[in-house]
Parts: sequence; C-alpha cells; structure tokens
Amino acid sequence: MKEKKTEFKIFTISQYEKEAAYLRRMRQSGWKITAIRFPGFYTFEACEPEDVVYQLDYNRDSAANKEEYVQMFADCGWNYLFDFVDYSYFCKPAAAFQGAEEKSIFCDDASRLDMMKRIALGRLLPLFVIFTAIILPQFWMHFYTLDTHPVMGIMYIALFVLYCVIFLVYGIHYYTFKKKIGK
Amino acid sequence: MDAHIKKVYVPMTETGFYILLCLRQPGHGYGIVQQVRKMTNEELVLAPGTMYGSLSKMEKDGLIRCIAEEEKRKIYQITDLGTEVLELELKRIERLYQNAREALS
Repeated sequence: MKEKKTEFKIFTISQYEKEAAYLRRMRQSGWKITAIRFPGFYTFEACEPEDVVYQLDYNRDSAANKEEYVQMFADCGWNYLFDFVDYSYFCKPAAAFQGAEEKSIFCDDASRLDMMKRIALGRLLPLFVIFTAIILPQFWMHFYTLDTHPVMGIMYIALFVLYCVIFLVYGIHYYTFKKKIGK
Repeated sequence: MDAHIKKVYVPMTETGFYILLCLRQPGHGYGIVQQVRKMTNEELVLAPGTMYGSLSKMEKDGLIRCIAEEEKRKIYQITDLGTEVLELELKRIERLYQNAREALS
C-alpha cells in the first residue's frame, strides 16, 4: 500500500505556472499528485523521485470534444491526469523532451496570452457580474448605515476590496505579459 | 475579407502559418506537429496547448474546417478563406525577406 499525504494549497487564477512548478517539485521529491479536492487539498502518493513536468490548460471548449483534446496531448507525449475547476492537468517526463523543445504545452506566447484571455472570460467575467450586480450596490447601501449597522457594512467593504484586488492582480498579470511579448 | 480576420491573422504566428500551410492537405493536429518537425529540421516543435487553441480558433473563424474524425482525431482542411489569408501572409513574408536581403547585401 503506497504512502499518501495531503497538502493544503491555494493558487489564484494567475498562479497556474506556480502550481505547475509545485507539482513538479513534489514529483522530484518522490510524491506524485493523484487528486485535487476543492478548495485546495492536494493528495499525493509516494513514488520514485522523477523529473516530470506538469502543465495546466484552461480551455472550456475542450469539454465538448474531450476525447480529441486528450488524444492530441497524448500524441505529443502528455499524460492527462484530471480536471480541477475547469483546468486540465497534464504531465510529461522531462527526459521525453527532445532538443529545442520547450518544456511546456505552449510553443508560443500568443497562445499563452490566449489562455489568459480564456481565463479572464471564464473566471473573471462571472465575478465581475456579481460585483456590479450585488457587491457594488450593497456596498453603497450599507456604507450609509455603517455607524448603526457596522457588521454588514464591514463585510461588504471587505468583499469590495477583495474583488478589486482580484481584478487588479489579474489585470496586472495579463497586461505585464501582454507588454512583455510586445502585443 | 473581414477586417477582423485581417487584423487577427496578418501577421500571424509561426504556428498559425504552418497549420494553414500543412492543411492544404487534410490532416490532424499531431500530423501537423510531425510535418513541421520534419520541415524545420527539428527546430520547430509545436505543442498541444497551442495547437488545440489555434485549431479551434481557426475553425471558429472559418479558416479551416473539420472534414472527418478518425480514431479520436479531428481531420481538418483549409477553406477558401484560409487560402486567401495564407496568400496574404505569404506576400507579407516575401516582401519582408526581399527587403531584408536587399538591405543586408
């Protein structure tokens, strides 16, 4: 019976590369990821330490053609692991890459930017809708009753700040990358 | 041609160019990866995340179409619009190359 362990980690929507690096490090230490449970429980199984590259892809279009999607990755040597909150997880041994091949599921920055756009559309847009439809009006309403009803007011201020931070951080991540690749 | 198509695809990425070039004959994603490796002497290795995204995008924009499915692989082929775009891009590259060669000679 292989030893198992679970770690709790939170990766935000702009930290998929960080998450991929984490999974690679764990594999190099002799722990391979077997499952991820919401909101961030990473379950590992003991294994031989190996340098395996992990990658995340966000592509909701793939859901309609999952078999073809997975097959394309398999053809290129990437093993499909599972999906977690719309991200598809793949891995490929570092030794399997040849010569000039980048250790990534992307071979150009334009497609990396495309993924960021998909994430913005799929994740940020719903948040933005909630923000404008609920948070903003509620924040405004409760702002005026802060002295008499502080709890609700403070809660909405906190949510307001949280959402602004989420948009800002992702916006910075997106635009710095866009600038970096000269688009 | 749609102004939007021109804006997105001219100039296009190397990946996009090779996809259109290869799909003048019917083929699937991995077939394109293999062809391009051969054509570029192993210098250009296309990756699945990029391939899948580009193929979906091009299909949506009407530059390629899915003509069949074989063993869990979609077979695509270039459309007339795709051929038009490829021609435009080829002209652009030729012009670039001519000017560069002249300037550097």
